[in-house]
Amino acid sequence: MKTIKTIQKTITLLSFSLLSVLSSANALASQADDIEITEPFAREVPPGAPASASFMTLENISDAPIKIISAQSAVSKVVELHTHTNDNGVMRMRQIPFIEVPANGMAFLKPGGLHIMLIEPINPIKQGQTVSVTLTFEDGSQKQVDMPVKSFMSKMGQMNGHSKVAE
Amino acid sequence: MNPKLILSVVLLGALIGAGALLYPTNQTQVAAPVNATGHAQLISNDRPAGGDFTLTGVAGEHSLSDFKGKLVLIYFGYTFCPDICPTNLGNLSVAYRGLSQAQKDNLQILFVSVDPERDTPQRLQQYAGYFEANVLGLTGTPDTLAQIAQRYGVVYAKVDDVNNGSNYAVDHSAFTYVVDAQGKLLTQLPHATSPDDFIAAIQLYQPKP
Repeated sequence: MKTIKTIQKTITLLSFSLLSVLSSANALASQADDIEITEPFAREVPPGAPASASFMTLENISDAPIKIISAQSAVSKVVELHTHTNDNGVMRMRQIPFIEVPANGMAFLKPGGLHIMLIEPINPIKQGQTVSVTLTFEDGSQKQVDMPVKSFMSKMGQMNGHSKVAE
Repeated sequence: MNPKLILSVVLLGALIGAGALLYPTNQTQVAAPVNATGHAQLISNDRPAGGDFTLTGVAGEHSLSDFKGKLVLIYFGYTFCPDICPTNLGNLSVAYRGLSQAQKDNLQILFVSVDPERDTPQRLQQYAGYFEANVLGLTGTPDTLAQIAQRYGVVYAKVDDVNNGSNYAVDHSAFTYVVDAQGKLLTQLPHATSPDDFIAAIQLYQPKP
């Protein structure tokens, strides 16, 4: 009798702790869950070009800023976070340690500004393909982004002259 | 006057106005020494003179004066450029496809590499050919390129920066230089000029039949 009671007690305790683990996970959603991505695409590059840039719009639906600290992909040997600044018409590209999406705000990865570089593609990155890039956030959570490859020579993939630099 | 014609005249006026604003008359940038941090420095100088030059393509030497009678658009960049050059050349490519055959015949686009260390004429032409706009890829010795850059107001510098990533980047000005049928440097168009604005500029500056 005593044994059964002990077992019952243990089960109750276990259920409680399981419940609390589940609920705290709910309350503390991962950063990956708080980021919504729209219009991702990678750029087809000319033959022999050693890197493709990829772009997307990120929206942070949480009340705290979220940083992408790295990105990974099977399509290229190296993946890096980069930005451009336009200094009186001189374009300066630099690798950066993170890309921050402001609290309840957006980050725009687009030509002439922030981008994710796919360096030394293992196979040529061609229009019509879809490439996957995994973003890693500061809390260690990850998000996979599947992006179509576009050519900038088509009207669809073409950029207009109004894209701002370094937003 | 029909409304379409009036609109064209207004648009042309706006383009000339924008060009005048974008193209400083007596203050502009020239190629300059690189400081300790590897940043190209801008120095004010007179309006760039432009002028003839001779560079090497896959089929041998070409001079700007070979294209007399045609409008010439010159873009200075490098094939390892992952974003800026393909954006600009992609827009030029879309513009090119929107031209009439006569307009294509009276136009030459030159892509001049400022990264002769990595860009061989073969590699350069393979890259330029991708854009399907009869782009001629050219390069030369570092000294020749520096001298041309100075005359055109082009700024470039190899970036020696640990934050620059795996492949070294080259900071470079990203204007498209417009040279008339007599070889005279007319103006520069800003980075990421749209295909429609390229077409408008070509129509504006091309010799009239």
